[in-house]
Amino acid sequence: MGRNKSDLIVFVGKRLLQLLPVVLGVIVITFFFTHVAVQNPCAVWAGAHATADQVQACILRFGLNRPLTDQFWRYLTTLLSGDWGANPRGGVPVLLSISSAFPATLELVLASLFIMTVIGIPLGVVAANGAGRWADHLVRVFYLSGWATPTYLGAVVLAIAVGPAIGLPTKGDFTTKPPFYGPTHMSVLDALWALDFPAVGDALLHLVLPASALALLNLGIATRMTRTSMLEVLPLDFVKTARMKGLSDFVVLYKHALRNSLISTVTILGITAGVLLSGTVVIETIFQWPGIGAYAYDAITGYNFPGTIAVVIVFAVAVVISNLLSDVLYGILDPRVEWR
Amino acid sequence: MASATDSELGVDATPWTLLRGKASHLREILRPFIRVLRANPLTLIGFILVVIISTTALLVAIVPVISQVVLGHPVLLTPYDPNGISTDYSQAPSLKHLLGTDKLGLDIFSRVLAALPLDLAIGVGIAGFALLLGGGLGLVAGYWDKPRTLGGVISAVILRVTDVFLAFPSLVLALAIAASLGRGTGPSILAVLLTWWPYYVRLTRGEVLAVKHRPYVVAARAAGVSEVRILFRHVLRNLIEPLLVYYTLDIGTVIITFSTISFVGIGVPLDVSEWGTMVEAYEQLLLTHPWTVLAPGAAIFITVLAFSLFGDGLRDILDPRSRRTLVQAVAATTLPGQVAGAAEA
Amino acid sequence: MVEPVLDVQDLSVEYEAGAGTFHALTGVSVRLDPGRVVGIVGETGSGKSTLAHAIPRLLPEPPARIVSGKISFRGVDVLDLPKWKLPLLRGTGIGMIFQEPINSLNPAYRIFDQVAEAVAVRKLRDAGESPTLFPAPEPHDYSKGMVVKSGEALLHPIATKLPGRRRRARREALMQDVLDYLRLVRINDPETILDLYPHELSGGMRQRIMIAMALSAKPSLLIADEPTSALDITIQAQVLTLMKELMEEVQTSILFISHDLGIIAEMADEVGVLYAGHLVEFGPVEEVFANPRHPYTKLLLRSVPAQYKDDGPLPALSGSVPSLANVPPGCPFHPRCPLMRDACKTNPGPLLEPVKGISARTHLSACYYSDEVARKA
Repeated sequence: MGRNKSDLIVFVGKRLLQLLPVVLGVIVITFFFTHVAVQNPCAVWAGAHATADQVQACILRFGLNRPLTDQFWRYLTTLLSGDWGANPRGGVPVLLSISSAFPATLELVLASLFIMTVIGIPLGVVAANGAGRWADHLVRVFYLSGWATPTYLGAVVLAIAVGPAIGLPTKGDFTTKPPFYGPTHMSVLDALWALDFPAVGDALLHLVLPASALALLNLGIATRMTRTSMLEVLPLDFVKTARMKGLSDFVVLYKHALRNSLISTVTILGITAGVLLSGTVVIETIFQWPGIGAYAYDAITGYNFPGTIAVVIVFAVAVVISNLLSDVLYGILDPRVEWR
Repeated sequence: MASATDSELGVDATPWTLLRGKASHLREILRPFIRVLRANPLTLIGFILVVIISTTALLVAIVPVISQVVLGHPVLLTPYDPNGISTDYSQAPSLKHLLGTDKLGLDIFSRVLAALPLDLAIGVGIAGFALLLGGGLGLVAGYWDKPRTLGGVISAVILRVTDVFLAFPSLVLALAIAASLGRGTGPSILAVLLTWWPYYVRLTRGEVLAVKHRPYVVAARAAGVSEVRILFRHVLRNLIEPLLVYYTLDIGTVIITFSTISFVGIGVPLDVSEWGTMVEAYEQLLLTHPWTVLAPGAAIFITVLAFSLFGDGLRDILDPRSRRTLVQAVAATTLPGQVAGAAEA
Repeated sequence: MVEPVLDVQDLSVEYEAGAGTFHALTGVSVRLDPGRVVGIVGETGSGKSTLAHAIPRLLPEPPARIVSGKISFRGVDVLDLPKWKLPLLRGTGIGMIFQEPINSLNPAYRIFDQVAEAVAVRKLRDAGESPTLFPAPEPHDYSKGMVVKSGEALLHPIATKLPGRRRRARREALMQDVLDYLRLVRINDPETILDLYPHELSGGMRQRIMIAMALSAKPSLLIADEPTSALDITIQAQVLTLMKELMEEVQTSILFISHDLGIIAEMADEVGVLYAGHLVEFGPVEEVFANPRHPYTKLLLRSVPAQYKDDGPLPALSGSVPSLANVPPGCPFHPRCPLMRDACKTNPGPLLEPVKGISARTHLSACYYSDEVARKA
C-alpha cells in the first residue's frame, strides 16, 4: 500500500485480473439467454423462404441439436483461440465488424463526455454557489429535464426536427469520403492524421448532434454530482482559508473548492460510462452512426448470437475498465488515497 | 410555535380545542416536510404531480373494472376507445380530440391516458421488485460477511454474481433478453426485471457496511443486544431512507428503460398503448403531425420529472447526511450550535 | 489618540433559519489599537465565532444578516464594500487562523503551493500589479529587508501547474519567501515539507503552516478563531508559545477568540466577554480578571478549575446559555444572575459604561450594579 508507481501497477493488475471472472459470467449469461430462450433461430438464419431441409441443414451446421453444454464449450474454445465467430446470416466475421465499430463509438462517447464535462461541471458550480436562489432552481430544472427526457425522444427530435432546421448533418454516414480511412478508425482523428482539415471540420459537424443527444440527456449526472459535492465542500474551512488569502471568488470556487469536489464527480462520470454505452444503442441507431451500439442493435434483433455475445463482452469490459479508470483518476486527484 | 397551552388541553377542553391540540401535534411531525416544501418549490411541484399522476392512473385502471361489476358494462375514463379506429384521420389537436388523432383516427389523448396505468405500474412494480430482491441480497451480503462461514460464502457468491450483472449496461442486457424472448409485454417486463436488481445490492450492502461499524451499533452489541434486534432497530432503520429515496428516483428510470425497449421495436406490441411504442410508431410524423410524437413523449417526460423532483426533495427531507449539507449550505458552519441543531430537528 | 486598526460599533447579526431568527450578536462594540491583542472569550454559542467571521465579511449572507452597526478597518467601512472588493480586504488587510488545522488546509495541494499562493497575493499587491485597498507599506511591516522585485510578481497565483519553465520560475521567485515564513514559525528544515500534502503532517505542524500562511500576507489585523482548541494539550502549549513570540516579533494587531480563560489571560492585552451575543464586559485583561465587574464574568472565572480551592464541589454556573432564538429580554444574563433585580428583566443593561468606582475609564461593564459585583456575588 502506498502511492508509488509500483503500487499503482499492482492495483491496476489486480483489478484487471478480477475482470476475468466477470467476463466469463457475462458470456455464460448471454449464451444462456440467446441459446435457450430463442426458439429455433435457424428459421431466421436460413432466410424467410428456406425449406424444411435447409432449416435442418442449418441446425446441423451450427450444432443446435447438441446438448447446451457441448455448444457452450465449443463456443468458448473457439473464442479463446481468437475466433469470435461470424454472423450466421451473411457470415461477416464478428471481430472485423467490432474492431471497426468500436472506435467510432469511443469517439462518440468521448465527445459526449467532453460536452458533459465542459457544460455540466460549471453548471453544477454555478448552482451550488447560488444554492437556494433562482440560478440554482434553473439549473436543477435543466438537469432534471435532461434526466426525464428519454434518450430516444431527444435523439428523434434532434435528428428529425432540430438537425435539418439548423443545417447540421443528422447521419453518421460520411457521404463525400470513405468514412474511416486512417489508423484509429475515429473520424476526427483520422482526418487529422491525414492532415485533411476540411474533413476534420466535416467529421466534427457530424459529431455535434449525436454527441449532444448522448450528452445533454446525461448532463444532469455531472451537474447534480458537482452541485452536491460543491455544497459539501463550500462550507469547509479550507475554502474560508482561501478566501482569507485574498483570492478572488473565481479562484476560490474553481481552484480550491471545485478541485476537491471533482473527486466525487469523476467517480460518477466513470459509472456513467455504462449509461452512455446503453445510450449509444439508441443514438447510433437513430443517427445511423457506424458504431458498436448500432451493431449491437442489429446483432440482438437479428439473432446474431456470436455478435450479441461479443458485443456484450465488449460492453462489459468497457464498463469495468472505465470504472477502473475513474478509480485511478480518483487516486490521482485525491492525494490521501492509497492504492490497494 | 403554536403549541396548545395547558388551558386549551386541560381545564376547559372542548372537542374543538382537543382537535386543535391534535392538529398542532400533527403539524409538529409534518414541520420538516412543510419547511422543505416551502423552501423548495420544485419539490412541491413534484409532489403534486406525483399525486395527480398516481390518482389518474389508479382511476383509469380501476373504474372500468368496478363499473363492469356494478353496472355490467365497463365505463372507460378515456374519451375514446384507445384502440377504436375512427374516421377522424390525422387531426390536429382540437376540443374534440385534445391531442389530435393519428392516421388511423385513433385518439392520441385516449391512447396516452390508457398507457398511463401500464407504464406507471411497470415503473413502480419493477423498481419495487428490484428493491426487495436487491435490498434483501445486499442486506445478506453486507451483514453476514464474516469470512470462512456459510454466510461469508453466500455473501461472496452474491457479490460475484452482482458484479457480473453490474458490468452489463442494463439496457443492453435487457434488450438481449427481450429480443430472445420475442416481442411482447410480458417478455420485456421480465427482461427489465432480470436486469434491474444488481444496483440495489451494491447500494444496500454499502449502507449496511457503513452502519454496521458505527459506534452505536458496536456499543449495542457490546451491551448484549441480540443480533436480530440490532438488525431491525439499527441497520434496517438506517436503510429505509437512502433506499426509499433511490427507489423514488428509480421509478422514472425504469419507465424510460422500459419504453426504450418498446421504442426499438422489441418490447410492447404496437396495438397496446404504451408511450415508447407510440413514439416509435409515430416517429416519422414528427414534422408533419408533431402532436402524435410529442404527446407520449411529454407524458414520459412529465411522469419521470415528477418522480425525480419528488425524490430529489425526499432526499433533502429524509437523508440526514444530505440534510446536513442542505443546512450547511443554507446556514453556515459558523452558526452557533443551537441554530444548526434547531434547523436539523 | 491613536487611530484604531479595527473599530466595531454596535454590531448586530442575525441568522434566518427555518425555525426562526437567531440573534447571534446584539450591539457588540470592539476597538483594537495598533499592535494590541484583544481577546474575546465566551461559551459555545455566545457568538464569538460569528464576530470573528463578520469582520472580514466571511459570513454567508443569507442566512446571516448584518442588521446594524459599523465595522471600520483602517478607515475603510467594511460593511459598505461591494462583494467584488472583499478579496482586497482580506489577505493583506485581515488574515485569519481557523480552529481545525486539518480542515483549514486544502487537502489537494502541496504545502509549497498553498503558502506560495498567499505570498504571491501579497507580492502582486505590493508591486502594484493587482489592486489593493490599502497603500503599501503596512504600518506594522515586520518584513524589513524583504524587497519585492516587480518582475517576480507577474507570476499569477491562479495556476500552480504552469508548464515547464514558467512553473520553475514561479517556484524560484516565491521559494525564498515561503522558506522564510516557514522558518518564522519555527519549522527547522522547511525544505523537507514543501512537497508534502497536509494529511502527511501532524496537527501542530499544520497549524504552524496556517500561521505562516496568514503572516506571509502581512496582514495588519490577524483574527485567530480558537487557534489551539483542536490541538493536543502539549502541542497547544507549543503553538501558544510560538504565537506569543511571533506577536512580539511581527507586532501585528490580533483579535484572539477563545473559550479558554487561561489562554486569553496569557495572550491578550484587553479582553471582551461575550454572553448570548452581548458583550457584557470589556477591559484590560489584568483588570477584568482580577476585578470582574459583571456577574457573568465573575461566575465564569470562579468555575475555572485552576481557581478551585479544595472546599466542596467545583462551582458550576447554574442554568445554561440561552438559545439565541429567544434571548431573554432585558439583561440577557438575568435568569441566571444571583444579583438579579426586577429592573434587569425589562431594561437592557447599560451599553458598556465605565465601571463605577474605578478611575480607569477603559474597564467597561454592561451591568447596572457593577459596583455591587465587586462586593458580593
